[in-house]
Amino acid sequence: MDSIVNDFTINIATANGTGSQSANLILLQSLFEMGVPVSGKNLFPSNISGLPTWYIVRLSDKGYQAPGDRTHIQVLVNPATWDEDVAALEPGSVVIWNSDTKGKTVEREDVFSYPVPMSSLARKINPKIAKLVTNIVYVGVLAELLGIDQEKLESAVAKQFKGKTSAIELNITALGLGRDYCKESLTKGDPYTVHAREIDAPQFFIEGNEAAALGAHYGGVQLLAWYPITPSSSMAEGIIAYIPRLRTDEDGKANVAVIQAEDELAAAGMVLGAGWAGGRGMTATSGPGISLMQEFIGLAYFAEIPSVFWDVTRVGPSTGLPTRTQQSDISMLYEGSHGDTQHIVLIPGTVEECFEYGWRAFDYSERFQTPVFGMSDLDLGMNRWACSGFTYPDQPMDRGKVVREQEVFDAFETFGRYLDVDGDGIPYRTLPGSGMDPILYRGTGHNPMGVYSEKPEDYYNLMQRLRTKIDNARDLLPAPVLRQEEECEVGIVFLGSMENSIQEIDDILEATGLKVSQCRVRALPLHSDVEAFVRRHEVNIVLEINRDGQLWGIFRRELPNDLVNKVHSVAYSDGMPPRAQIYADLIMAKLEEVKQ
Amino acid sequence: MSEKPARAVKLNVINEPKDSYTGGKSSLCPGCGHDQISNVVVTAAWENGLEPHRIAKMSGIGCSSKTPAYYLGQSHGFNTVHGRMPSVTTGAYAINKDLLYLGVSGDGDSASIGIGQLIHAIRRNMDMVYIVENNGVYGLTKGQYSATADVGSKKKKGQPNETQPIDLCALAINLGCTFVARSFSGSKKQLTSLLKAAMSHKGFALIDVISPCVTFNNNDESMRSYGYVKENEITLHMADYIPHFNPVQEVEVPEGHFRDITLHDGSTIRLETISAEHDPGDAMAALTALHNAEQSAKHVTGLLYFDASKPSLAEDLGIVDTPLLDVSDEELRPSKASLDALNAEFLS
Repeated sequence: MDSIVNDFTINIATANGTGSQSANLILLQSLFEMGVPVSGKNLFPSNISGLPTWYIVRLSDKGYQAPGDRTHIQVLVNPATWDEDVAALEPGSVVIWNSDTKGKTVEREDVFSYPVPMSSLARKINPKIAKLVTNIVYVGVLAELLGIDQEKLESAVAKQFKGKTSAIELNITALGLGRDYCKESLTKGDPYTVHAREIDAPQFFIEGNEAAALGAHYGGVQLLAWYPITPSSSMAEGIIAYIPRLRTDEDGKANVAVIQAEDELAAAGMVLGAGWAGGRGMTATSGPGISLMQEFIGLAYFAEIPSVFWDVTRVGPSTGLPTRTQQSDISMLYEGSHGDTQHIVLIPGTVEECFEYGWRAFDYSERFQTPVFGMSDLDLGMNRWACSGFTYPDQPMDRGKVVREQEVFDAFETFGRYLDVDGDGIPYRTLPGSGMDPILYRGTGHNPMGVYSEKPEDYYNLMQRLRTKIDNARDLLPAPVLRQEEECEVGIVFLGSMENSIQEIDDILEATGLKVSQCRVRALPLHSDVEAFVRRHEVNIVLEINRDGQLWGIFRRELPNDLVNKVHSVAYSDGMPPRAQIYADLIMAKLEEVKQ
Repeated sequence: MSEKPARAVKLNVINEPKDSYTGGKSSLCPGCGHDQISNVVVTAAWENGLEPHRIAKMSGIGCSSKTPAYYLGQSHGFNTVHGRMPSVTTGAYAINKDLLYLGVSGDGDSASIGIGQLIHAIRRNMDMVYIVENNGVYGLTKGQYSATADVGSKKKKGQPNETQPIDLCALAINLGCTFVARSFSGSKKQLTSLLKAAMSHKGFALIDVISPCVTFNNNDESMRSYGYVKENEITLHMADYIPHFNPVQEVEVPEGHFRDITLHDGSTIRLETISAEHDPGDAMAALTALHNAEQSAKHVTGLLYFDASKPSLAEDLGIVDTPLLDVSDEELRPSKASLDALNAEFLS
């Protein structure tokens, strides 16, 4: 039988809260250190302990990062999902199972079955924590079966348990037990194997939330106001974790404040207060939090208050599937709050961009005096992605049109808080405490001087100016990433974490003879390059991870009439990170439908 | 004959005339207790010698929350959203802790929609003055009961209020609020001294000011009413007709005494000033005073509770002494070397 090298998917079925996550991360890290292109997806329940969890590790020399369309190697530790997991396996798959599991066995003849008494092995080390140790035993078994370097495994263990000697020793012993059992008692019959690859450029693994948190620090965040919510909490906690190192003086005092608010409404209010006072305030939340913040978002737009909101999206509506991923909030962010609104949304697709937009969000928000959203998602935010390093901001902070000195203020012929002096729709502002142009900010109608007004022309002009202001931002926001074929046959427009599945989708489509170009939208409102891309291509698919085609809706409304019929929606969401074959099939079906 | 010499304008300790503290013309109903409170804000800020531009006027939504337009015209202000002024103030405070935050709210804004934010601002001992202009009624939406309306309060139409009121002072004392006072919009002298003290307090200072609504809290039974109804039934049926009143009489009640105050319609409100023996450091005594007053259908006024020992929010935040607003961009952004070091560590 020919070997299958670095091109398969491992699915590890465990229960939540049993410590499997650290074992799985050790497996992932050791493969990564061998230079094997690898990605990990944690499919976890909204639960602290006991419910089923799957961890999917995909190895792909082509660099595909989507979860594979099928499982090649199944690890079975959780009796609760055992039967279903076994039934789902295709013939020829591998199953490594805990033979100490009461009442469970694997009876299929068409799979490579490796029973391992994981619990008994674990009990040998320490009966009290046998459940925890079981997880690392299966990593040892996998390592032996697949040929994972012991040195890389040990280095991954050391990274996972940073300096905790007893934990490191215990895990290395348990790995050895798994390996030894495999050597002594199992005979490898399956074709799956791992080969180390040359590493051209060194990389590390990091979650999108941690990257965005670091970015916020390099943007000089001054207030983080937040309320815990999955899957964004690790962004806020990431910001907090780096304060001692990055933002604290020798007296132990920080130049950034953190307030855990009583709810998302208060978090949003605090962010606005910070922006109003002249500081850089942000919050990190998810869709339900953004729902609660709608009123403040409208106030920030209308009263023109800089404010930064990160939405790490999850499956909605309502509580939805809190631990599953979706591009669910595109329209809610773009048009947040009641009344006519339009917001700047930055949409990272990589961890590098999470970092970059982490700092740039503040610059845009202060420049345009408006709320700015970062839109990440659970897949990008909470899974680990390869990164070759973060780039330091290439420009000083842009604090926008703030008048801080009396001489500057005096030089204005007429000063009005909402007066468009430069014709770019962006007025000048002064700050509380300065004594210059003291006005009462409000969410009610106001004239260019910042005075309460219900006059029809004042309201109309204000709303037109706000539209101009945001419209002018289009080409100053991150341009789309284009990967274009010479033949402009099919254009796929997508966004965010779909970046990690798009190349595989593209390859599946091109295997049928199609020529496919890619356009990854990185900001709303849409950059003019997006329109040009659509114009160049015969047919365009707007590809997104939701039900309704929210981005497509924005295209339909904003593109010139002659282009509207060139864009078609493929939107699909089942809570899983996008699996390439599903989206490729839907695109093919849509192209067929369009042809007719 | 030469012109009469201009009368010397009286200046405060920072050489500002009182005019430096005034604001725009009020658009509230004539005779509204809130306007009397606005005048007290002007007087207290002037007498305290505060720099007007170093005050931030904060409010939510409602009749009371419109008043920042009517005082301190040299101060920036933020008329935010309903019930959420505390959070906006908290965020502004984190950035610029050197301003004096003067919040004005109403009973709807504070005791209903905003009660959560009020509670949490108290819990954080947020450094601000928080005035509740309390009339037991929603004015701007034309007269619905608020959560501070007394049991038995009757509107002209509809059922009497049967829901227990929330006593914001008792709530605040229970939460450990560090400055709790009650007063009456007509008690100019008492309210001025309480407000001056509150402005000097480091921490959360709540002043619940009974401020009768001339338009909607208009029945005899209400302890907060003007009950103009009886004599003017016909005109009051016209929803957009607002009768003109003179502001309620000024009243000062000696410590330890009570006095019945006659309101516009001839009904009375009984105000008792807490006795000189009351120890404002004794939370139980303050709660007892509130309870006893309620039992005898009185409002007890004065400084009920005070505690200067608790750290205010700024101390809890662990931030630098300089207001964050004044920290330079270069200091706010960590160095390139720090990022290089992080990248190197991640790669190792």
